[in-house]
Amino acid sequence: MSDEEYMSDDYEYFDNDEDDMDVTQGDDGTSHSEDEAMDDAYPFNDDIKVSASKGKRKSYDIDYECLDTAELQATIKREADHITSIFGVDFDTAVSLLRHLGWNKERLIEKYMDSPNAVNSAAGIESPSAASPRSPGPIRSLTLSAHNPAPARRSSRRLGLSPTTTSAPQLPSNTCPICCDDEPEQMKGLSCDHTFCGNCWAYYITGKLRDEGESVIRCMASDCSLVAPETFIKEAVSPENYERYKELVVRDYVTRSASLKFCPAPSCVYAVSCSSAASKSALTTIVPTVTCQAGHAFCFGCSIESDHRPVICAVAKLWLKKCQDDSETANWIKSNTKECTKCQSTIEKNGGCKYVCLANAVFHTLISLPSHMTCKKCKHEFCWVCMGPWVDHGTAWYSCNRYDDKAGVDARDAQSRSRASLERYLHYYNRWANHEQSAKLTVDLYAKTEKKMEEMQITSDLTWIEVQFAKKAVDEVSRCRMTLKWTYAMAYYLAKGNQKELFEDNQRDLEKAVEDLSELLETAIEPENIPTLRQKMTDKTVYVQKRNEILLEDTAKGFSEGRWHWNVEVEGFDNDGDLESY
Amino acid sequence: MAGICRTRLAEERKQWRKDHPFGFYAKPAKAADGSMNLMEWEVGIPGKDNTSWAGGVYKLTMSFPEDYPSKPPKCKFTPPLFHPNVYPSGTVCLSILDEEKSWKPAITIKQILLGIQDLLNDPNVNDPAQSDAYTMFKNDKVAYDRRIRAQARENIPK
Repeated sequence: MSDEEYMSDDYEYFDNDEDDMDVTQGDDGTSHSEDEAMDDAYPFNDDIKVSASKGKRKSYDIDYECLDTAELQATIKREADHITSIFGVDFDTAVSLLRHLGWNKERLIEKYMDSPNAVNSAAGIESPSAASPRSPGPIRSLTLSAHNPAPARRSSRRLGLSPTTTSAPQLPSNTCPICCDDEPEQMKGLSCDHTFCGNCWAYYITGKLRDEGESVIRCMASDCSLVAPETFIKEAVSPENYERYKELVVRDYVTRSASLKFCPAPSCVYAVSCSSAASKSALTTIVPTVTCQAGHAFCFGCSIESDHRPVICAVAKLWLKKCQDDSETANWIKSNTKECTKCQSTIEKNGGCKYVCLANAVFHTLISLPSHMTCKKCKHEFCWVCMGPWVDHGTAWYSCNRYDDKAGVDARDAQSRSRASLERYLHYYNRWANHEQSAKLTVDLYAKTEKKMEEMQITSDLTWIEVQFAKKAVDEVSRCRMTLKWTYAMAYYLAKGNQKELFEDNQRDLEKAVEDLSELLETAIEPENIPTLRQKMTDKTVYVQKRNEILLEDTAKGFSEGRWHWNVEVEGFDNDGDLESY
Repeated sequence: MAGICRTRLAEERKQWRKDHPFGFYAKPAKAADGSMNLMEWEVGIPGKDNTSWAGGVYKLTMSFPEDYPSKPPKCKFTPPLFHPNVYPSGTVCLSILDEEKSWKPAITIKQILLGIQDLLNDPNVNDPAQSDAYTMFKNDKVAYDRRIRAQARENIPK
């Protein structure tokens, strides 16, 4: 096939692909426009696209598609059919080839064009020594599709030369070398020379599938690396194990494709395809929060938290690391201790005339004057106040005439800087932790609100549906607290400047609104106030929702416009001189 | 499938008695009452000639699991051997003995033993199993060699 032909084939394929999609939508019995209308009515019920490019689309929404196992299998079939049509190999071979190259079709096409034999033997489709030039796999004819169970296998089996030279037991040819049964019902093998009885194959394949979760199943002969094709496995094992095999292939496909991810919720079967978040660089501009068909939200880019909007994965990760590791312990040491100016041992001044030398953890009582320190380690005597050598001080600390000594100034500067940095961190951390704490208490809040809703039903003439406004308010509060929480992680790392101020303005507005709404939720119910309360709460909920959207939207836009700059180095961002010394 | 294990082992035994490589021995262990235990074999592997291992015959027990030959046997030097790929317990670390690596049900006892014999003088430094032999092999080949020769002398069959 010439290059030109191949190109046109390729093009045609993609055309077909689109047609396929249309057909699928048509199958649901909905035309395209109806589909959109459905989207509007049931925002969580659509199974094709959650957000298409429509007017109501938010800039923090991302395109993704939720797929179930059947749809994934159909995708694999499409990919394999494409390979089948290009190279004229049968369906099983196409799947094996794709799987061998990590389901990367482009790479497979490139490599296969280059050297089909090398790819075939590496993928376990033919034995390395069975070299008939440009023959696409030794088994089967060229036109087989998935539905034909490969009738040609037996006839061409002798094509593959056995690489096994080591001594298998010299058994009669009709004896299975595994179980040594000399009257096996059926002997079978892959395209190589090695045949074994059906029972041994079944037992072996089942063990691989069940115990090891391995879908690449090689010939049982000792040096043979041929891989069993799907049709062979289907014939060899029970239907339920064959299902398991198909499941493992799908799992392999999903885990090795960058644009696919399984929903991490326990025993959830759905996978999400999100090509816009497939590359690492894309994650610096978007926060791919997705929701599977079963309603589980998760972040496509990381496993930190289901929804860490507005902050991107890399920064969220930085923040959590900062909170978890002992970097703050180090900061405490810097703020509350000093280093001996001579030997750099760390010393904590512990009250008037006691100090602890942290370097060798010796508690030491010494010296009469509060500021006269003697390093336990190197016996250097210095002034705790100005860090200058004690020799220059005479005998009274207040006559500290080395106040402006350069070494002393530097040491004090370093200390106050790290103190300021600790305070700054605690500022953000406290607020972050506060929202996290509140989010954890949401369950209680729901319970309390439900009680109130019941109370309102009794004391007023509102119906259960009409009191839902309170629950909606709680929904909104918990959602916004999540956003707020992560805004503190973002603000901590944002470089100083107008952009940060704008961000913090948005943050403040949202926080204020959320606190107001929370307060409303806490107010006691008095029958005469219910209508006003209802009105207020509904208004506030809408307002809060709006503020949250504004913040998320502005942040998302900022990411796509490259407006945000960090005060630390963040993966994927240019360090453009904004780094501050924190 | 429980029968397979014993059928196969009986066949392995038959093949071994018919023909086996020079210097090796392999036989099922005798239980206390004198009956034969096919699931546990006592094996001797000779060091290859012209290597530091020559002269010694290294004792090994092979324990076959119930689902042999789907699962590989466990091979253990008794006493434990000074060798980078032998665990302190004596268990051999070899890819063909690992069901998730290269174990195949068709691998015979003869192939396993020849494989272990190859491993003796040709350790795999990428997969160390004990630190003593590994560090000595990496850092001081002369001392390692001396130690191997001494071990060979200790293992000369009586």
